[in-house]
Amino acid sequence: MDALPDAIVQYILSYVDNARDIAVCNCVSKRWKDSLPYIRRLYFPRNSFENNAGQDNPDSVVWRMIASIIKLDELVVYCPFSSAGLASWLSLVSSSLRHLELRMDNLAEQQACLETPSKLDCIGAAKDLESLKLWGVLMTSVPKWDIFPKLRNLEIVGARLEGPALSSAIQACPNLTNLLLLGCEGVRSVSIDLPLLEHCKLDFYGLGNCSLSLTSPKIESLEVQGCSWIRVRETNCLRNLSISNNSGRVYMVDFGKLAALESLSIRGIQWCWDAVSKMLKWASEVKHLYMKVEFTGDFEALQPFPEVDLVDFFNSHPKLQKFDVHGAMFAALCQKNSLKNIGTAFTIPCLEEVAITVRSPLNAEQKMGTLESLVKYGKNLKTMVIKILQMKSSHSSADDFFDEICRFTYMNRKIVRIE
Amino acid sequence: MSSSSSSSLPPCPKKMITLKSSDGETFQIEETAALQSKTLENMIDENCASTPIPLRSINGKILAKVVEFCNKHAEVGVDAESLHAWDAEFVNVEYTTLFDYILAANFLEIPTLLDLASGVVGDMIKGKTPDEIRKMFNINDAFSPEEEEEVRRANQWAFE
Repeated sequence: MDALPDAIVQYILSYVDNARDIAVCNCVSKRWKDSLPYIRRLYFPRNSFENNAGQDNPDSVVWRMIASIIKLDELVVYCPFSSAGLASWLSLVSSSLRHLELRMDNLAEQQACLETPSKLDCIGAAKDLESLKLWGVLMTSVPKWDIFPKLRNLEIVGARLEGPALSSAIQACPNLTNLLLLGCEGVRSVSIDLPLLEHCKLDFYGLGNCSLSLTSPKIESLEVQGCSWIRVRETNCLRNLSISNNSGRVYMVDFGKLAALESLSIRGIQWCWDAVSKMLKWASEVKHLYMKVEFTGDFEALQPFPEVDLVDFFNSHPKLQKFDVHGAMFAALCQKNSLKNIGTAFTIPCLEEVAITVRSPLNAEQKMGTLESLVKYGKNLKTMVIKILQMKSSHSSADDFFDEICRFTYMNRKIVRIE
Repeated sequence: MSSSSSSSLPPCPKKMITLKSSDGETFQIEETAALQSKTLENMIDENCASTPIPLRSINGKILAKVVEFCNKHAEVGVDAESLHAWDAEFVNVEYTTLFDYILAANFLEIPTLLDLASGVVGDMIKGKTPDEIRKMFNINDAFSPEEEEEVRRANQWAFE
C-alpha cells in the first residue's frame, strides 16, 4: 500500500462509504487521512450513534465529516438527526450534492411538533440534486421548496401526505423521469403533470378510494395501488401498466390508446365490470396479462364476473404470450361456451405460458373444456400451470374435479403441471 | 480460460496486437479485446500498435492476467451472472496482486478492472480497526503518538 500513488489510494478509499469505516480510515495513517477529503459518498447507517457516550452531538459529528470532504456527491443518513443539523450540513454541500437519501422519521411527530423550518423545508437548499429519497415523511403542509431543476428521481417511502402538499412538492420537481411513492397515507386526490416522467409507481394506503390524474406523455411504466379513479390520457409510450386496489373498488379508468402496451396487470377485490372490460379492450396489443380480480359490481355488493367469450377474448388479444388468470376471471371465461360452434380457423397464435388459479369446483365440466381448448388451440403453448387454491375438499365434486385435472395433466404432461 | 486467439473458425484473420511486459515477455491480444484499455485504444488510433508495445510498469505475471481479463470481457454472449462469478474468482487473490491489478488498470486505463479491484480492497477495509487495516496492508507511515492521540479524539465516536 505504501508504494501506491496518492491518486490510487484516494481512488480505493472512495469505495468506502460507511461513515464509521471512514472515521476509522482517518486513524490509519497520515496518507490515508489526507486522502479521505476526496471521497464522494458518505453513508450513516441507522445505528451510527447508538453507543455514543454523549460528548459528541451526532448532528455535529456528521457536520464535521461533511466539512472535511471537498466535493461530496452523495449523502445517505439513516440515523436520527434534527432539522437544524440537516440545514447546517446542506449549507456546506448544497453546490456539489447530487444524491440525497434521508430517513426523516417524523411520521410520529404529528402536527404537534411543527419545527420551522422543517426537515423537508431544509432539503430545498440542495438545489442541484438529481436524486432524492426520503423515508418516513410527514408532509401535511406544502414544503418550502423553490425548485429542483435537475431532480430526475424522487422516491418517498412511508409517508403521511395531504394531496395539495404532495401536488405542490411534485410541482417543485418539474423534470422528474422517475417517481416512486410507496406506503403513502392520507391522499384522496392527486394530479401529476410531469412532461418528462417515464417511470411511476404509486402506492396509496387507506380506503382505496384515491383519485389519480396523470399527464405525462413519456410515461413508459406505471404502477398504481389504492386508486379507484384513474385518468391517464397520454399513453403512447406506455409499455407496462399495473393497477391494483387491495381495499377499495376500481370504478373509473380513463386511458388513451394503449398501442405500445406489452404488459398489463389488474388486481383487486372488486372492479366495476365496465373498468375491467375497458382495460381489456384498450390493451389489445398486450403480450403479458395478469388478472387477479375477485369480484365485479358497480356498488358495494360484490358481484360475480359476467360471462366472457373465450374466442372473442383471444381473437381480440392476438399477441398474448403469457396469461396469468385467477379464479373469477377463469370461471367467467368458461361459462360462455363459445367453443362449441367455432370455425376450424380459430387459433391462439402467440400464447406460450398460461398460469391458472382455480378455487372452485363449480362448472367443472366447462372448466375442463376450457383447459383442453387452451391446449388444443394454443399452437405455441409451452407451459400451463394449474394452481389449485383453497378448494374445499369436503365437497365430493372437488374430488371429481381434481381427478379430472390430474387426468388432464397426465394426458398433456409435457405442457401441463399442477402446483 | 481459453484465449480468444485460439478460436476455431475465424471468419477473417483477427487483428492482433502485441504487448511486451517489463520482464520481456510478449503477449498477443486481439484488437477488439484491447480496446477496453483507453491507453491501448489511443495507440491503435494513432497507428502506434503495429510493433510490440512495451509496458515497462507491468510484469509478465500481471500482464497475463490483464490480457485474460480483457479477453473474458470482450467475449460475446456471456450473461451478466456468469461474468460476475468469473470476476469474483478473478479478484480472489492476495492484496498485493490486487494492488498490481489496480496499478496496471490505472496505467492502461481499464475502468472495469480498476473498479472491480478497488471495490474489493474497499470491501476489505469495512468493519476493521485501524490496527487491523495497518496489519492487513502492511502500512508503515504511522502517526506519532501525539498525532495518533489527536486523530483518535477527533474520530472518537467511531470507536464507541
